[in-house]
Amino acid sequence: MSISRRPLLAAPALLFAGRAMAQGAPIKVGSLMPLTGVAASAGNSGKAAIELAVELINTPQPDLASMPLMATTGFPAIGGRPLQLVMADQQGNPSVAQNQALRLITQERVVALTGGYQSGLTQTASAIAERHGIPYVNGESVATNLTERGFKWFFRTTPIGPDIAAIYVEFLKAARVNGRPVTKVAIVNENTEYGTSIADVIRRTAEAAGIAIALQIPYAANSADVSAQVLQLKDAQPDVAIFISYTSDAILYARTMRAQGYRPPILIGDDSGFSDDNFVQTAGDIAQGVINRSAFDPSRAGSNSFKVNALYKARTGRDMDDTTARIMQGFLVTCDAINRAGSTAPAAIQTALKATDLKAEQLMIGYRGVRFDDKGQNTLGSVLLVQLRGREYVSVWPTETATAQLQLPYRGWE
Amino acid sequence: MSAQATQTPAAPRLAGRLIFGALALIALLVWPLLVENVFYQRVGALVMLAALSASAWNLVGGYAGQISIGHVLYFGCGAYASLLGFTWFEWAPILGAPFGIALSLLLAVIVGTPTLRLKGHYFSMATIALAELARIIVTNSPVLGGGVGVSGPALPRSMADLSFISPLPYYYIFGAVLAVLLAFTWWMNLGRMGFYLRAIRGQERAARSLGVPAQCYKLYALLVSAGFTSLTGSLYATMVGFVDPDSGFGILLSVKMVIAAALGGAGTLFGPLVGAAILVPLEEVTNAMFGGDGTGITYVVYGAIIVFISRFAPGGLAEVLSRFQAWRARRAN
Repeated sequence: MSISRRPLLAAPALLFAGRAMAQGAPIKVGSLMPLTGVAASAGNSGKAAIELAVELINTPQPDLASMPLMATTGFPAIGGRPLQLVMADQQGNPSVAQNQALRLITQERVVALTGGYQSGLTQTASAIAERHGIPYVNGESVATNLTERGFKWFFRTTPIGPDIAAIYVEFLKAARVNGRPVTKVAIVNENTEYGTSIADVIRRTAEAAGIAIALQIPYAANSADVSAQVLQLKDAQPDVAIFISYTSDAILYARTMRAQGYRPPILIGDDSGFSDDNFVQTAGDIAQGVINRSAFDPSRAGSNSFKVNALYKARTGRDMDDTTARIMQGFLVTCDAINRAGSTAPAAIQTALKATDLKAEQLMIGYRGVRFDDKGQNTLGSVLLVQLRGREYVSVWPTETATAQLQLPYRGWE
Repeated sequence: MSAQATQTPAAPRLAGRLIFGALALIALLVWPLLVENVFYQRVGALVMLAALSASAWNLVGGYAGQISIGHVLYFGCGAYASLLGFTWFEWAPILGAPFGIALSLLLAVIVGTPTLRLKGHYFSMATIALAELARIIVTNSPVLGGGVGVSGPALPRSMADLSFISPLPYYYIFGAVLAVLLAFTWWMNLGRMGFYLRAIRGQERAARSLGVPAQCYKLYALLVSAGFTSLTGSLYATMVGFVDPDSGFGILLSVKMVIAAALGGAGTLFGPLVGAAILVPLEEVTNAMFGGDGTGITYVVYGAIIVFISRFAPGGLAEVLSRFQAWRARRAN
């Protein structure tokens, strides 16, 4: 706590000092998040994290000096001009996402756009940015096709489907349940872009590695009842059940499985819903030992992740989850590129983004770095596996970086 | 409207109306060129789109008095036909529109024949059920894009894709279609069909006993309405370039059509346009002003409007206007 509070207490004074130094108008960066609608919980966490990022950039943070823009005030390469965030609510609606992207670009005159959250909305909003020639950096949408569209202004920092599938399959090949190999795998996925694309890529990667997917159960997101799906699982008795769900469904599955007394030996809950603090607080007690992927491990004291998480917790009262961390990292990469561009001209920022070469220690998340390929996809994104203990996720895989021992089988409510 | 005819002599009143109409038309045509702000131009295009779907709804919901809350069924058909045409055959999205319209007409016959026999709330509920059914079927059909949705061309390939950077072309295209629809509505209202529909709305049993083929004419109105709603869906898909089950078949869209028409005045020619011209900017402005806080106040405002209309002016602004005119006339006397 002493680490986290000091910069916060010093903030007002430094902000004042920063103002005195900062020359010229603030530089505006826009962000689109679902602040209302079904994904509002994740969107508002993202918003809190981005607001934290703005504060960190606009005030000197000697504690985080290894990260770009943290030791200084505002954008030092652009005369110390401060950063201003323009937040917009995309309401989970593709047309609204476009309207808001257009408003941020033409009315607010943002120099870059970030966010989008749901893959479908990132898709429509980034099409507007592409037509207007404004850089769009996304940190959280994983649908593979987003970087396959031939866009010149679209960049993405998050690891995507193939990276995620690779670590699950690697883990499954190494894992043994009660001494027997993992042979029967079931996937339960919500049927929008996120669930469908992740399920497909896991299936392909697993089958290429010789692990057959015995059962796949797609279901409609925001279901009112999932007992049919759980019964299907109970019948099939897979060694591993992989869930790909948003928050409300993840909670519903945990409760339904508790009600029906069903526990697979290994339960993997893919990020999104299972990472949401809402899930951990409401259903965590009956989903003990669920394995999740994450790029964010705040448990190592002294790391950037640890410090940023402490600041976030002081602000919001809860730990930062993986999705929120990826959103924040995407935003920070954008700001770093603007500073390196040394100008607010979109083309200069685009060039700087293409030249991005951030090392692992310059990030607040566990990627190996940030470097974009020709399509705008980060090639150094990486993922680790975490397991739920009490109301916290601890890192368990790969073993070299793990901070805790993997515990199998899945315990659920016991 | 006819009540006012007693107040002023017919000829000057008609001239006044014509001048007012011409000025309004010129204003509608010219204002986007004077406003340089691209965002306002886009809001203008969205107003036209909302006015188009609300005017199409108005044929059934306003003139024929059959309150459908499932019109999104036809909207979705149009939107999906456009983008599926692109996904499957790489067509320009607008080429899918005729297929969407054809499917919508077919659905209107299948849906309308049994449901138009229902009265009042039962008809409304049946339309909601059918639209929800369509949404669930599409959500669970991978070949129709499932829950993921379908996209248009990521980057425009040719002019035929109707993919513009500026919202202005959309504004004028939507406006032109709206003009056709309003002209049809006006013509229909003057003719036999207009009389029949008014009779049906007033008292269907009485109309039937006088020999009005009610079932038939309600279906005609539904067919035209479904066709134009489907075209609106295709135009929406062409502009946005993406549709998923919620944005194509979500009940909120049906409700917005009803509210826009009801706010301006259901069963009047320009009511839906007026309603859309108030609601869409209101929605965009509240979202721009308060949306960033994540407080959802946009929806609070929207909800308040619904409550106010249904409590104080079920006939919409048209009713408020005629009440005001009546009040002025009383004062003048």
